[in-house]
Amino acid sequence: MTTINILSLSKTYPNSTAPVLKDFSLSIHDGEMVALLGPSGSGKSTLLKLITGIERPDSGDIQFDGSTILNIDPNKRGAVLMFQKSYLFPFLNVEENIGFGLKVQGMSSESIRAEVKRMLNLIGLPGIEKRKPGQLSGGEGQRVALARALVTNPKLLLLDEPLSSLDTSVRMNLQEAIRSIQRELGVTTIFVTHDLGEAMAMSDRMALLLNGEIVALDNPEALFHRPRSLAAAKFMGVSTFLDGDQLTVKNEACSSSEKIFAIRPEHIRVQKDGCENSMQGVVSDCVFRGEYVEYQVAVNGTSVRARMTMPAPMFPHGEQVYVNFPKEHLFEVEN
Amino acid sequence: MKYIFRALLYLILIAPLLLFAAYAFSTRWFFPQPFPVEWTTSTFQHAINDSRTLSSMAQGIWIALLVSVLSLILALPAARVLGLRQFRGRQLAWLLLFLPTIIPPLAIGMGLNILFLRIGLAGTITGVALAHIIPTLPYTIFTLSSAFARFDENYEFQALALGANPLQIFLQVTLRMLTPSLVVATLFAFLISWSQYLLTLLIGGGQVITLPILLFSAASGGNPATIATLSLLFVAPPVLVIAFTARQLNQHGNQIREQY
Repeated sequence: MTTINILSLSKTYPNSTAPVLKDFSLSIHDGEMVALLGPSGSGKSTLLKLITGIERPDSGDIQFDGSTILNIDPNKRGAVLMFQKSYLFPFLNVEENIGFGLKVQGMSSESIRAEVKRMLNLIGLPGIEKRKPGQLSGGEGQRVALARALVTNPKLLLLDEPLSSLDTSVRMNLQEAIRSIQRELGVTTIFVTHDLGEAMAMSDRMALLLNGEIVALDNPEALFHRPRSLAAAKFMGVSTFLDGDQLTVKNEACSSSEKIFAIRPEHIRVQKDGCENSMQGVVSDCVFRGEYVEYQVAVNGTSVRARMTMPAPMFPHGEQVYVNFPKEHLFEVEN
Repeated sequence: MKYIFRALLYLILIAPLLLFAAYAFSTRWFFPQPFPVEWTTSTFQHAINDSRTLSSMAQGIWIALLVSVLSLILALPAARVLGLRQFRGRQLAWLLLFLPTIIPPLAIGMGLNILFLRIGLAGTITGVALAHIIPTLPYTIFTLSSAFARFDENYEFQALALGANPLQIFLQVTLRMLTPSLVVATLFAFLISWSQYLLTLLIGGGQVITLPILLFSAASGGNPATIATLSLLFVAPPVLVIAFTARQLNQHGNQIREQY
């Protein structure tokens, strides 16, 4: 329904010197769900505030379908928000909460009732119209908040860590629910989170944010397997980086010794015997995690983290081992 | 044990009222008698039928309502800023707002009287109401700012994103979230204004007669039955208002608590 263009947006808050967003650009296709992943202070929430109009940018532009929205009042932009807390109005029941957006826009009460009913079916909670927000569980509250946001037929749905206050099981459930509802309605969505797994499970593309800048933007699979930069790799859980000259045998990509190579922890092998591309080290930790074993091996004064799926050998603390970096799993990253 | 305390509390609260009632509805109650021997409603009827009593009550209620509304309108923006924002000079703002409660009202009243005489507000209901705002405002601002301090602006952002305009947000979200505190603040303003003697006397200058003024002149007259009757009339509106709002407040309190 809507294509979003964010063009070199900058924002610095009055009482600070460091910008929250620096020359930030991002294009989102119609009906796409983009996850913004970053630590706190990376500018994720500020971006949402700028899009909804709660804050104004210092420079840059935000466009919906090619035309700027910066001069449109926040309540007419059609960008709805869903937060970590449901923020359902405690003095209204579920029906009135979901209908709020339609009521303030002047829709008749019969149409509102029908729309609310449709939304309650969509979120899988039919028949709870008359309940008060205080009588809902955390997950139900978030579903109702989603319904309240989507009933207005918004151009853009903004999700600001909507699941981070929920239990794991409820969370998995809602991840699927949000994803399927979003796909069904085809609403363009920005999803802010600091949970890598959640971002990968829910988004079409992921933008990794650091200090107000995008360090990587790609679909989850590509970012997971081959992050292009050091910062992006760290985001994606890669902790082992090697200088080219440390490697004895290189793959085709690993031609120069000045470059940095990365490898995912689950591709590193820990074994008794040395072979090509291996280094000798001492096991400092070895933890059985059920589906996999996690190792920490001290190599040349640095710690290498490795993961091997079961069946995997257990090593006692202090054991002399070799860590092996299979060449097909090494990839080059830019510093 | 809990019930004994509760009963004791009620007794302490009601005892003075019962004493007033005993004085108001009796004649010739002398020392050794534990209870009045002759009951009568004639003093009460006399007071009720006195046009001065009724007009003073009507004027007092009108002024108190006016003061409540005005101080709410003045207090809301101030309370919002003081409750939600941190800024340089916040402490100073608080001090200035509470100054009227520290400075003797006589000092304010005398100065204000001269000013109001000059601009023609002395001796008018408007003038008295404006003067009453001075002692009520600190209490209304204090009550509302602590409500705003607990208020989460994200409720307003939600309403904004859903398409509500600023007026709709204010009326349908902010005011409703703050209802319990608004009731309390209104109550404070109403009661302070209703029982205001000195400022009414100074600014009203004998033109604006409220019940406290009548009560004071009756008190110097020395007829215990009249004093008791007027006192009963004096406490009636506040007691009624509190009794009415207590239920509402409880309900609202429960609603807000459910949310958290």
